Amino acid sequence: MIRLQSLTRLALAAAFAALPLRAQEGGQEGSTGGGEEAAQAPTDDSDARWFAIQGGDIYTGTGAVLRGATLLAKNGRIHAIGYDLDVPPEAKTLDARGYRLYPGLVAISSQGLLGNASGDFRDTIDPFHFRMVLGLATGITTTGVGSSVVKLKRFSVKDAVINERVFSTFAWSNNNPRGKSELRDKFAAAARYQREYREWQRKVKEQKDLPEPSKRGIDNNVLAVLNGDTTAKFSTNDRDELLGVARLAQEYGFRPVVEGCQEGWTIADELGRAGVRAVVTPRARRTKDERQVFDGGSSIENAAILHRAGVPVAITPATEGVDLGGLVGRDIMHLPLEPGFAVRGGLPERAALESITLQPARYLGVSHRVGSLEVGKDCDVIVTDGDVLHYKTFVQWAVVDGKVVYDKEKELFFAHIRPRPEAEAPRKIDAGETPPKPEAEDGEGEGEKKDDAGGDERRGDDEPK
Amino acid sequence: MLRPQTFLLGALLATPALAGGPLAIRVGRAETVGKGVIENAVILVEDGKIVTIGEDLPVERGIPILDRPDWVVMPGLVSCYTRIGLDSEGGEDVSPDVKVTTEIYPGSRDLRKVVEYGVTTLGVYPAGNGIPGLAAAIRPRGDTLAELLLRDETYLKIVMRSDAPSKKRVRDAFKKADEHDEKVKKAREKWEKDKKGGAKKDEKPEEKKMAQGEGDEPSAAATQDAKADDKKSDGFVPPAPDAKSRAFVALRQGRLKALPTFASASDWLHWLDALGKEKIGFDVRLVLNQDSDLFYVFDKKTYDLEEDGIGDRKVHAIVEPLLTFTPNTRRVRNLPQELAKAGAKVCFTPRSDDLANYKAWLAHVGELVGAGLARDTALRALTLNPAEMLGVGDRVGSLEKGKDANMVFVDGDPFQPATRIQAVMLDGRFVFGEVDL
Amino acid sequence: MSFRRTISAVATSTLLWCLAALASCSSSGRAPDLAPLRPGEEGLAIRCGRVLTVDDHDRAYGPGLILLKQGRIAYVGPDRDVPEGYPVEERRDLWAAPGMVELHAHVHGTMGDINDMVFPVNADLRASPTYVPGNRALRLACAGGVTTLFGIPGSGTSIGGFGITFKSKVRGATYDGSVVQDPGGMKVAQSYNPERRAGDLGATRAGLSWILEQWSEEARVANREGRVEPLLENLQKVHARELPVLIHSAGSDGYPAAARMWHAKYGTRAILSHGCFDAHLTAPWLVAQGVPLNVGPREIDFFSTRDGAITGTAARYLEAGAKDLSLNTDSPVVPQEELFLQGAVAARYGADAYTMLRAVTIAPARVFGIGDRVGSLEVGKDADVVLFTGEPLDPRSRVEVVFIDGRVEYDRRQDGQWF
Repeated sequence: MIRLQSLTRLALAAAFAALPLRAQEGGQEGSTGGGEEAAQAPTDDSDARWFAIQGGDIYTGTGAVLRGATLLAKNGRIHAIGYDLDVPPEAKTLDARGYRLYPGLVAISSQGLLGNASGDFRDTIDPFHFRMVLGLATGITTTGVGSSVVKLKRFSVKDAVINERVFSTFAWSNNNPRGKSELRDKFAAAARYQREYREWQRKVKEQKDLPEPSKRGIDNNVLAVLNGDTTAKFSTNDRDELLGVARLAQEYGFRPVVEGCQEGWTIADELGRAGVRAVVTPRARRTKDERQVFDGGSSIENAAILHRAGVPVAITPATEGVDLGGLVGRDIMHLPLEPGFAVRGGLPERAALESITLQPARYLGVSHRVGSLEVGKDCDVIVTDGDVLHYKTFVQWAVVDGKVVYDKEKELFFAHIRPRPEAEAPRKIDAGETPPKPEAEDGEGEGEKKDDAGGDERRGDDEPK
Repeated sequence: MLRPQTFLLGALLATPALAGGPLAIRVGRAETVGKGVIENAVILVEDGKIVTIGEDLPVERGIPILDRPDWVVMPGLVSCYTRIGLDSEGGEDVSPDVKVTTEIYPGSRDLRKVVEYGVTTLGVYPAGNGIPGLAAAIRPRGDTLAELLLRDETYLKIVMRSDAPSKKRVRDAFKKADEHDEKVKKAREKWEKDKKGGAKKDEKPEEKKMAQGEGDEPSAAATQDAKADDKKSDGFVPPAPDAKSRAFVALRQGRLKALPTFASASDWLHWLDALGKEKIGFDVRLVLNQDSDLFYVFDKKTYDLEEDGIGDRKVHAIVEPLLTFTPNTRRVRNLPQELAKAGAKVCFTPRSDDLANYKAWLAHVGELVGAGLARDTALRALTLNPAEMLGVGDRVGSLEKGKDANMVFVDGDPFQPATRIQAVMLDGRFVFGEVDL
Repeated sequence: MSFRRTISAVATSTLLWCLAALASCSSSGRAPDLAPLRPGEEGLAIRCGRVLTVDDHDRAYGPGLILLKQGRIAYVGPDRDVPEGYPVEERRDLWAAPGMVELHAHVHGTMGDINDMVFPVNADLRASPTYVPGNRALRLACAGGVTTLFGIPGSGTSIGGFGITFKSKVRGATYDGSVVQDPGGMKVAQSYNPERRAGDLGATRAGLSWILEQWSEEARVANREGRVEPLLENLQKVHARELPVLIHSAGSDGYPAAARMWHAKYGTRAILSHGCFDAHLTAPWLVAQGVPLNVGPREIDFFSTRDGAITGTAARYLEAGAKDLSLNTDSPVVPQEELFLQGAVAARYGADAYTMLRAVTIAPARVFGIGDRVGSLEVGKDADVVLFTGEPLDPRSRVEVVFIDGRVEYDRRQDGQWF
């Protein structure tokens, strides 16, 4: 038995060896905010914040599974994944034996998980809002909101926004043929300008006085799409509209994200050739336009067919907000259920997991930080009691930037459902709800050492063991 | 002892001998707040001040004695965040130069009424939702503003919410202060250049005149201190800040405190974020609602915050006496108690400026005491803490020798619902109650 | 005949199915018919990887064999030699389970045909004229493994009328070929809906109850006197326990009130449907009454209890000891084909997963009085069999083939995947 286990380990470790197992000191970390550290000697880890999740089965989200392995994070980044790692003694640890680790889920779009935030999320995010807790309970650690990408960094308003101006939204509708031709013209003009500008850039080195080409009449959003500074986003389900978007994309060489895409399965090859990226809701319904002789309408196989044709698939639920009204299974709180319906339609399980992790991370331009468990990426991990796509699975812990920000047993929402065997009974009494007991005589808080000690105990519970 | 004789309030006030002359008060118990509890306390009052206070002190012959062994005395209540008696309406403006003193109406009926409920000191603030201006500490009796005013410019009210405009207001205001600093720097460079170059000396007095002309409020703490600073300087008189930046310059120099208002935990983090590296003094006003989540930011430790919690900063925290729930539940929380435990100096304000809530103020605090809040914390949160918050803690807020004789006399434990206020003394004079001597 | 579920109580749901599959007992109430299939008889032998009978003993076979003969199940049990004459369907990669049973559906016809809003009580209205056999929603229902439905009027009036029990046949479906029972039972709406819509009397629950009792008393008097009132014929059958009554009700106020009237006072074959919001707070009392509960479409409660917990309502009824708890979709509120998902989410929020499979198969059939025909795979019962690619409650499991009355109504390989 033991031998078998170690053999499996070996095999997996070998399979995993292709991945870089250790972050290059100061390398990737230096690129985003860790500049000071990069400048320091690489061995100086005295201030480092270590965090280790030990003993769980690590589903990296890139296809590899390491059973009973350890994930070690340093300063909020994944430092190493594997066996027999040197975990510094000062590291906070989480015992995940018997549980699974997955990359934190990425919602391509959601509403309300940041509280009532709107506009600039740096200034409006509510990191204490109960919907953020529910988002983490769902396993979501990063979400697209409008054109921004925000991490569910509970208890902090800083560094949560990790990307902005991701999308430029364009309309392409059969009901507005003029709009279609106008957009085509805009792309033509922007492409012409782009060519002229590049030529000018080349020539101006010799001809110093060559005038810069005029930008008049050029649509900045379209130009940004062509320059790769932003991603064009369309929202359509109609076969004909989808074809139109695909042709436009192919002609001008950009990779649009198309929401809806319900009739995409009928023209999957065309979408695949054009580099279209799809955001689908497998259960969404659309009746076929019976006047058309082509295939049409929605299909549960949509995601699978698109995937087979090389169209990346991200999956979003029918309701992108939290719905606690009782009708269960269609809202953002049940994000991991939705890919299950794509699997029903034939999507491979791995692609289904990627549809709520790596693919949306790519669309949102943050796959270098989130979406899979790889060394150097953010330590955004969920620890579950089973297959993340299974309907009974609950997120037990959610970790963002190497910090436990959600523990099922510590929150009131789900603690009563199949409590963890080793966990104590859900906290019935919160800080301050303690039955009234006399305070220290000075009563002003300075001398409250006794109560602080009580706080320590509670804190101890909160800490991963 | 004088022969028992019944004075009505009016008669009492009309008696010159008692208005300023010495009076000894003997009560069953004194909650001094500053110096603990004194049983069988005797308080000697003269010229509006507490001359002495102690247990069973002998009283000199000839000094009238008010003997009330069944009474309990406590310091006059301090309502440090109120708009009682004021009725102007504010907007979303940034008007840090507005002073609430411009709208105080000494004849206000409400002001006279709150005295009956034990309130002897008030902190009043200007209305508005942005940065509406500067608050003042007043006493609720007097015919003119000067008589009312204890201290002007006690704090700068700032409404802070988790939104971009709130943060922008704060950041922009400090930018304005930066502009002023730049102006001062340039003026100083010019002054030093002129001095070295043996410039004409008559430029200086002109500058000074202008500076004084801008900050012309006599009792303004900010301006006064600024002048004190001038004395230390080498003769250079900086240009005065303009109306928009004056308060924020004062904040930076520590001559003024801010009072941001928060309604949720995230407001606190956004406030700290908006402040950035600015080091200013501030207290906080917390608006409680049924499902308040403010407890998340009471201390840094419990939820492993990246920033200090409110309690960690040891600030005064103004709250209404209200029991709330853990969000989404019916589990009662005593947030003021938690706040005190976290290290904040709790100051109670009535639940609203409605007179009914002033009347029930002690009872409302009593509900929290019943739910576990320490009596001492509760008493202090009604008196000395808010007095200190207003910067008048040296004068009011506790029963101590030398302090203003502001006292509330009750017929039992102040936090028991059946207890009634029997008399109120303000600056040594009984302003409420039937007192027979 | 060991009680397999005791073993599996500790297992996770998936493991549970596997353990159950180890059972090797055969036979049920009726003796299997292992005679050869004679010419002219319709029949089919299906070999599956796993057969979940959902019978009284929760027997499961892996691999298993099912013989369908003349629209009925002739044999279900461990794999064995197939009697002569049977064509054999080899689907060892699939799981077989009984077709699911829905007691609260509004997709039998068009949505415009749900309520006649003229009278608060419509004891003489029937859903059958609105029934459109094999309509699009029913095709999806079939492809989702739902084979028996009780299609009922809406909840706009106190008695919406009489529903129709039918099978979700799609291939040339007709009224005659699909209907199990017409009327199949009565629909009452008591609390949360009729009070918003009914006529002059009946704006409050007091008025609504009075109206319901008024009509009920008339029907009961007629029953006692042996008369048949033309307009009360069906209501009389309800009070004579010849027909079941499904009662739309919810909340800790409405749910017990409905139980008091229809179960305790009148002793009808009442089934309480919905049970949403904070009705679960009354679970112990309801369970003690013994009134069957049909929970859905809302499966969780958060706002009404305000205890910070997201409560799975089905789990709460089960904890209180509810027997034969069933689930509904209230389709199209939840799409009819997602009946299995109601079971899945009920399991997610605390209920036992296998019990939730029962809650969408045998439990509703039994409480509705059609448990002898549908809801489980047992000899002699209707041959309504669904072949899944895996655990029936898992959204990832596909429905491959649906047999109704022994005939293929949906075959993914032929029809393409509908759901």
